[in-house]
Amino acid sequence: MPNSPIADLSYRNYDGPMSPPHTRWWPIAKMSMRLAIKSKGFWIWATLSSYAYLIYMVIFYFTDSTGTASGRSNPYFTMLKWHDTFVASFTLSQLLLLIVALLIGAGSIANDNRSNALLVYLSRPVSKLDYIFGKWLGIAIPIAAIVFVPMLTYYGYCAMSYAKYGFFSQDHWIIVKIFLIPICAGIVHASLSIGISSMFNQGRIAGATYAAVYFIGYFFTVLVGQLYIGVTGIGPNQFLKNLFYCSPDGLQVGLAKVIAGTNGSEAFTGFTRHIVPRPDPWFIILLLIVVILFGFGVAWNRIRPVEIVSR
Amino acid sequence: MESIANIQGLTVKYGSFTALDNLTVNVPAGCIGLLGPNGAGKTTLLKTVLGFVQPASGTATVLGHSIETEGKFIRQKIGLMPEQDCHIPGMSAVRFVAYAGELSGMPKAQALRRAHEVLEYCGLGEARYRQVETYSTGMKQRIKFAQALVHGPKLLLLDEPTNGLDPKGRDDMLELVRTVCHDKGLSAIVSSHLLPDVERTCDQVIVLMKGTVRAQGLISDLKKLQGFPVDVELREPNPNFTTEILQAGVKLISAKSASFRLLVPGNDREISKTVQACARKAGAQVRGLSRAERTLEEIFLTAVQDQNDTSHINRPIADISQSQTNEPPVITGEN
Repeated sequence: MPNSPIADLSYRNYDGPMSPPHTRWWPIAKMSMRLAIKSKGFWIWATLSSYAYLIYMVIFYFTDSTGTASGRSNPYFTMLKWHDTFVASFTLSQLLLLIVALLIGAGSIANDNRSNALLVYLSRPVSKLDYIFGKWLGIAIPIAAIVFVPMLTYYGYCAMSYAKYGFFSQDHWIIVKIFLIPICAGIVHASLSIGISSMFNQGRIAGATYAAVYFIGYFFTVLVGQLYIGVTGIGPNQFLKNLFYCSPDGLQVGLAKVIAGTNGSEAFTGFTRHIVPRPDPWFIILLLIVVILFGFGVAWNRIRPVEIVSR
Repeated sequence: MESIANIQGLTVKYGSFTALDNLTVNVPAGCIGLLGPNGAGKTTLLKTVLGFVQPASGTATVLGHSIETEGKFIRQKIGLMPEQDCHIPGMSAVRFVAYAGELSGMPKAQALRRAHEVLEYCGLGEARYRQVETYSTGMKQRIKFAQALVHGPKLLLLDEPTNGLDPKGRDDMLELVRTVCHDKGLSAIVSSHLLPDVERTCDQVIVLMKGTVRAQGLISDLKKLQGFPVDVELREPNPNFTTEILQAGVKLISAKSASFRLLVPGNDREISKTVQACARKAGAQVRGLSRAERTLEEIFLTAVQDQNDTSHINRPIADISQSQTNEPPVITGEN
């Protein structure tokens, strides 16, 4: 008998249950998520990305416990717009979200290209759309989750501590909004990740490209922002306002502002002097659709089970 | 014989290049060798069967499903072992194989159980928790085989299964393929350039050339030569032996040094007697006397010899030989 814990080593046919060959994107999404959460870096950067909410909570705690005379309202809290604090925290966490997106998204398709994994996927009852959507979901869900968890924690803290300062009365729908903002962040990063990742055979190069696109877009946004707030004398106008949000970073912030229904304010201070107001909703939604179509379109064109060589 | 694939008038083009040209073939169940020179259309045929490539015209059914409309159902019943290395990065072998099973539609627990089974079967039981990236070439071949088997396919498509293997690894791999196909009732299409591999594992062959079928049939039939010729091997070259056998009315098919291929009338006993008598008269010593048959290499070379002649489609290899040489029919092939 062979030296193996399994006594019968001969081949046996499998006659067990098989699901119909539909919705094959779900195992792909699950596996992508499983691989993402196996990485220590994911947990480290995901935790760090919640720093802004933590700072808010610490400031609130000390302000509340030290700066208020007994029985009187704290002026700091009365001037706060609560939904602005969500948007500001989300804005501050953008760079760290980018790092998480690079960790879990940049190599998602590029590494499969390198190791010919597409042959494994596409020789199964998995369509190209199943594959792309599964990969997309496998990036979108973790990113949405790491945005959502600190938001919900922050929401819980504020709900328990600051109801008397208008946390609920200012915006009744804030709980719904903190569901939608993370979803948008997940969609933007996932769409860009799969689009850029599918263009390369190495995750690192895909990651570098994504980071380059992100930072070029960010500097573009900063430049447009300076133009908008009047540094050069051009002054605010509708075109510049919308143009400000035409970058991966700007798109997410714009979506957050539109969803929260606020123009935003500076983090921690609440000032609005140097703030570009929220974009037109139709514009930002259109931009989101363009980004989604870009991601899926590029991936669709780049992913092939066979190399077609023209002859 | 039961058919696993029925292909009718299939044409596949890559731009202006025609990879499969009005291909019509009925692939029977069993272990089939797919032979052909580079660019003959072997891999294109496998990829078309899998739905990777859209045909320009023609129809095909695989395991009763149309390749045009039921690609997913076909792929659920097929296991592909591609020629090139392929794995999913960041996974251990058992996770990779189980994941392949899940992608095919197996429940997670079943896929994991089955992954352990097939990895044991493929000889990777000890290494199942290692990352696939760290595997040697031979182990990577085995894991490709394991992921093709995990969901219990009805048909295996094996593209160059012994690529990059050392002699021992090659032997082991061929034994695995042979066992699965012959003892367990799976069908397999083995595409290979290595004719001994095909001969060892397959019962039947399909020879492709320029996107058309040039020969098809049981290897044993294709090897047969008409008229039961025999191969005679003498101890040393002897010109008198040729004279003697011609005088005895024996047809000399070929002579090379001390080896002769003869067409001798009569049954086995009479053939033996005739050869021995001729040898005695010529003063030669017979070292070997056996039924002559063609090698698979000869079958293959004959089939692909005339690249411009496409009139042999779906005809036995013997007919091809006859039409090319205009010599008396000496080779037969029966399906």
